Amino acid sequence: MTEFLAQHTPTLTHWLYLSTLLFSIGLYGLLTRRNAVGILMAVELMLNSAALNFVVFNRFCAPATVDGQIMAIFVIAAAAAEVVVGMAIFVALYRYRGTVDVNAMDTMKD
Amino acid sequence: MIASASYTVIFYLLAALAVLLSLAVVNAWKLLRAAIALMGVLSMSAGLYVMLDASFLAGVQVLVYVGGIVVLIVFAVMLTRSAELLQDNPAPLRKILGAIASLAFLAATVGVFRSSPFLLSAEKAPLRDNTTLIGEKLLDYGAGGYVLPFEIISLLLLIAIIGGIVVARKTEPQGQPFTTGGDEAGEAEFRPPFTQEEHEDELELVEK
Repeated sequence: MTEFLAQHTPTLTHWLYLSTLLFSIGLYGLLTRRNAVGILMAVELMLNSAALNFVVFNRFCAPATVDGQIMAIFVIAAAAAEVVVGMAIFVALYRYRGTVDVNAMDTMKD
Repeated sequence: MIASASYTVIFYLLAALAVLLSLAVVNAWKLLRAAIALMGVLSMSAGLYVMLDASFLAGVQVLVYVGGIVVLIVFAVMLTRSAELLQDNPAPLRKILGAIASLAFLAATVGVFRSSPFLLSAEKAPLRDNTTLIGEKLLDYGAGGYVLPFEIISLLLLIAIIGGIVVARKTEPQGQPFTTGGDEAGEAEFRPPFTQEEHEDELELVEK
């Protein structure tokens, strides 16, 4: 049992499958959620899996450098800025419209 | 051998928990539960970063994502009263189409992974501390340094802070000119040319 587990340590492809799965779940949430805050959470999932991908490639393709980790730090900083602006927009929108349902936001359509 | 066996076990444990919690993030009806599940996903990611020899990044992940961004999202849920107003259950057709789109993306990407050869490196991780290397790289202004993106990201964060304050603050009711709420000198004496009521009276006169 221990031997089997020791021989099957996760390779690069396993890590990539994991981050792709997380990204696809985030994509599903982005497409199906009606609440704007829920959409923001799905975007966070996708950004997180992208950052994970950077670190995975850093570890397996160039372990002597840290460029992938620095990219992941930049992704985290950009995600923080995005959440701040998104939350401000949703709060202002709620004050004007009384809802954050994206189905109801079709003012420019008519 | 025990070490690599436990490495495998921990990887699959963290991966399964991350996938299950992210399914909860996109499917939970109550958004506060989704926010807590998102916190779980991000913590699992921090664990995965530790497994990838990126301990500094794991610390940043816990500090910024779990401690900051999730709290902001919880605030967003509460300030928009999403928890009580909007039970988020999308239409079945939308669910099916979303599932088809994301599964197609998954299949395409997995196909690319299977067919492309990656240039794997046989090197081990550096003996020096990763954190030292990251710090040197971030402030290195030579070739391959990251001092310019580092400064630009600080500018981006400053812009986001100011933009957040400007967008989310209380605005005057419609029909009033933009004021700073009495902060500027001479504003107290300023009176709009006509108020909303006078404007309506005028409209009535015109109609008569």
